[in-house]
Amino acid sequence: MPYRWIEHTGELELELEASSARGIFEAGFKAMRELMSDGEGGRRLEVPVRVVGTDRAALLADWLGELAFLGEARGLIPDRLSMLELDEGGLRGAVQGRQGDPPHLVKGATYHRLRFEPVGEGWRARVVLDV
Amino acid sequence: MSDLRRVEDVLWEIPADARADMRVPARVFADSELVEAIGADGSLEQLCNVATLPGVTDAVLAMPDVHQGYGFPVGGVAATEVEGGVVSPGGVGYDINCGVRLLAAPIGAEELGERRVTLVHEISRSVPAGAGRDSPSGLAGPRLDAVLVDGPRALVDRGGIGTAEDLELTESGGRLDGADPAALSERARERGGGQLGTLGSGNHFVEIERVDEVHDREAAEAFGLREGQVTVLIHSGSRGLGHQVCTDFVKRMDAALGRHGIRLPDRQLSCAPIRSAEGRDYLAAMAAAANFAWANRHTIAHRVRGAIARAVGEPVAQGTHQVYDVAHNVAKVERHGGRELCVHRKGATRAFPPGSADIPERYRGVGQPVFIPGSMGTASYVLAGRYRAMEQSFGTVCHGAGRQLSRTAARKRVKGAELRRTLEEAGITVRSASNRGLAEEAPFAYKEVDKVVEVVERAGLAVRVARLRPIGVVKG
Repeated sequence: MPYRWIEHTGELELELEASSARGIFEAGFKAMRELMSDGEGGRRLEVPVRVVGTDRAALLADWLGELAFLGEARGLIPDRLSMLELDEGGLRGAVQGRQGDPPHLVKGATYHRLRFEPVGEGWRARVVLDV
Repeated sequence: MSDLRRVEDVLWEIPADARADMRVPARVFADSELVEAIGADGSLEQLCNVATLPGVTDAVLAMPDVHQGYGFPVGGVAATEVEGGVVSPGGVGYDINCGVRLLAAPIGAEELGERRVTLVHEISRSVPAGAGRDSPSGLAGPRLDAVLVDGPRALVDRGGIGTAEDLELTESGGRLDGADPAALSERARERGGGQLGTLGSGNHFVEIERVDEVHDREAAEAFGLREGQVTVLIHSGSRGLGHQVCTDFVKRMDAALGRHGIRLPDRQLSCAPIRSAEGRDYLAAMAAAANFAWANRHTIAHRVRGAIARAVGEPVAQGTHQVYDVAHNVAKVERHGGRELCVHRKGATRAFPPGSADIPERYRGVGQPVFIPGSMGTASYVLAGRYRAMEQSFGTVCHGAGRQLSRTAARKRVKGAELRRTLEEAGITVRSASNRGLAEEAPFAYKEVDKVVEVVERAGLAVRVARLRPIGVVKG
């Protein structure tokens, strides 16, 4: 698994590992998909996403927050990332899934103990999700 | 933390010189047992981080229910100077003005009898839980603006929802000054507009209770509470709207830290001078979200009265009065010791004493009502604020029992269905959309509320007025 859940008294803490920075964002998508995939869904949707951030750590939190927002406000149960590009200003992607009522478990991602750093030949990141 | 030392019976302190970046001491209200539990998670380190905020004054405080959060610990209090100090969205939290409203019905639990099952069912049908983005009370455009500016008053004046007495019996009259709908992002409006009158998820609930024991007869009488009476406790907040306000301003202030010359040990403490554009805009947006939260609990209470009318009868619904409504996630500009301070309460409740001009006239003889929900299946408490809270804690007490087990650990110890059965066997009717969510809120995941409240009383911050026992729960 490119991600694992860490014990946290009140919230959910997520550790991500990948061989590339882009892989960290993909792993984050997979973790959020696990949390949001229980709901019943209807018609298929593809939602284009653009997230801007001052640095990669903040960008990661904002990316996970964007997925939580799409679930809560638009009812998107994500199942596939059809495009993901990192550029200097942020990331651009397209999220596919079904429209429905995803579990309302995670409301957003915080900047608490936020990490995004090179480790060996890859990358590791940590983010605390707001439950 | 080795620098923690006992300074009074139930007050502990980490001195300001424990870390080079702390500006004030960090103080913890706890007894020996609670302090051990508090030291086992990251809350003390988080409290010391809060003590580094520019303009923080006197001491930062942890209530006995404190636990690890993000940025601020949950159960943390910090006051900053309005002139020269900062405001931190993380010091309020994502669920701006999450809080509790208590209603008291004119009947006893015995008279309610088995109709409690119908009542729980009616409440669960009429108060949407989960994301709840399509609430029948959802608002947009100018009607949403009116709620953001005036809170529940807009609903009473224009929609006939609730009463003027409900407003009088709400902290700050249910309206913070300075709210500006223009300070909210479009996304905040989109996210929250459709959620008015909804419970949300996590630890939010509507609980039907019985007054199990009266500790202070004079105060209980003033609050309209008597032994055996049925009460309804509502716990919710500003939903996605408040969450988005916090998200937007943590990000905006994080990007402006360098410009303001602020260095922080944790990015979630992101903050800005109160007098800066970021600080002013945040306080205007936070006030709007707080007003929305009061309107949300007000709408839920209206629906609960409707459920009471259907399950028990219209006269009982008509006679169901609001005891009070308190916020436990908010920053407010208040005067303490002749100074104008911005008091951040994150998972902490204002508890003003008898005589305070900021509490309803009818309660000035006994002090402000404070509600401390316990975990599902255990007791909740009604307290009344005391003078010593003004000297010791900026007029603040705890907000609940406080988590002691992670959500994962709670799920490992019990299955939702099993917990539901146990609660039903104990005479508590439960409605919950999710078994996973139910297991995460298991009673053993929280500290003992009796112990938390005992510490608050021993510290002289508030007194116990009544204890409430649950007989029905609708979980968010």
